[in-house]
Amino acid sequence: MTNRERHEASFRDPSGYIIQDGDVLRRVINPIYFDQYNALKEKGVFEALQKKGLLIDHEEESASDSEIIITPSPIPFITNPYEWCFEQYKHAALLTLQIQKYALSKGFVLKDASAYNVTFHKGKPVFIDTLSFDFYEEGTPWRAFKQFIMHFFGPLVLAKYHGTEVLKMMQTHIDGIPLQLISSMLPAKTRFSSTLYTNIHLLAKLESKHSDDYKAETKIAKLSRKAQSNMLENLFGYIRKLNISEATEWGDYYDKTNYESESFQAKKSLISSWVKPLNPQRLIDVGGNDGTFARTVLNDVPHVIVTDIDSNAVEQNYRRAREQDENNMLTFVSDVLQPSPGIGFNNTERNSLIDRLVAYAPDVTMALALIHHITLSGNVPFDKSAGFFAKFSKYLVIEFPKREDSWVESLLVRKREFINHFDFYNEVEFEKGYSGYFSIEKKEQIKGTNRILYLMVRK
Amino acid sequence: MNFLYFDPGLGAMIAQAVIAAAAGVMLFSKNVMYKVKSFFGMVKDEDDNFDSIDIEEKDRKADDQ
Repeated sequence: MTNRERHEASFRDPSGYIIQDGDVLRRVINPIYFDQYNALKEKGVFEALQKKGLLIDHEEESASDSEIIITPSPIPFITNPYEWCFEQYKHAALLTLQIQKYALSKGFVLKDASAYNVTFHKGKPVFIDTLSFDFYEEGTPWRAFKQFIMHFFGPLVLAKYHGTEVLKMMQTHIDGIPLQLISSMLPAKTRFSSTLYTNIHLLAKLESKHSDDYKAETKIAKLSRKAQSNMLENLFGYIRKLNISEATEWGDYYDKTNYESESFQAKKSLISSWVKPLNPQRLIDVGGNDGTFARTVLNDVPHVIVTDIDSNAVEQNYRRAREQDENNMLTFVSDVLQPSPGIGFNNTERNSLIDRLVAYAPDVTMALALIHHITLSGNVPFDKSAGFFAKFSKYLVIEFPKREDSWVESLLVRKREFINHFDFYNEVEFEKGYSGYFSIEKKEQIKGTNRILYLMVRK
Repeated sequence: MNFLYFDPGLGAMIAQAVIAAAAGVMLFSKNVMYKVKSFFGMVKDEDDNFDSIDIEEKDRKADDQ
């Protein structure tokens, strides 16, 4: 029998819950949801969505009078909405609308439209909450509409006017950004857009007007199926056209740097010649920018993650991976100096980045052109950053730019009168700090640069 | 009756009637513009998974009629 350890994030929906059965995640369906589940199965809704890759695949393990157990395909690493770049966020929203519209045509609805129903897998957004569907009742409005605005539409429109940093507000608002807040943060001119006025400002106004109707006395307006389709289609069209224009922090980093193309190639071939023999199954590039260096080993590693602090670099990587059908590339936004914490009830509904990295257990971690930022911008001592990498990495490919490197020089100059406080930033101290957790396997200066590449293995 | 495990918001249920009406007008005028543009050959076909809300070809055709 299955070993049932109920998943910490799975308690909101009474239809069922997720259990951890050894290494495998399974979904238990309660009798209260049997009718819906069977109808969805019989009408081929699951099958159609899964065939298109919109809904995560699952196998039915067992079915009894008291429960049905299904096993969804495993996803190696779950990214959360506050870790997505703009384009990813947009695609997750569009996917949700596509599924709702399709469900509606088959006599179902999405009963919730949480952004956590979507994650990224095989280079695409995929809907992971198989129990989010319910029967459509003719003439009823979409119950999850407000949630869609708070989780998807609001954050996206805010990002258009305030930049992608706004998307991180989802970290402090697990139930989505409050409507009043979205409305108040938007510029006055948005009131003249019929889509923004009705979907946000009017919605916020009506919500606050009816917020103390505890007895539910006001009659709920009817909404025809066609009208609901129009509403969905209009939102879809608006979101599809949404764009942001932000100058990138590192986007054209490789054009900006004083890298000679020869040393660029030298670094690439050094990385691939060190990584390939390790035969890694999972690899993460921390601070990996647009994935340029991770791509040197992409064909040899079944699953590759590239994460960076710069949302625009992540976006470039995401677009490139989609264009080139690189289904084993996963990218997301994260800041090493403040990784996503565990959020929600008990602080365990959404796992912290560290917890997820420990569970992912990459065979190889790459940290290229990162240590000087951690050490000199974040003031993190070497032994502390070594401890961080040692938590989840077996092999570590880490690049150490020496004091003579132009980036390091500029970071040091900015310390002004405190520059002497950073005398410890050198090769010897670096190796000493990391020796507490790792042993050095290989060490080589990258040709034509003041940078040293290390291959380390955890002690 | 659908059972519910979170509050859908009464205001949000009412608002949808207005939102849908506005959306209907918008879609109608977009459709007219599209027809005018395609008459003058100004429509570019984009190839993307997210170019249409409809996931099946037959749905797309059905909606165009």
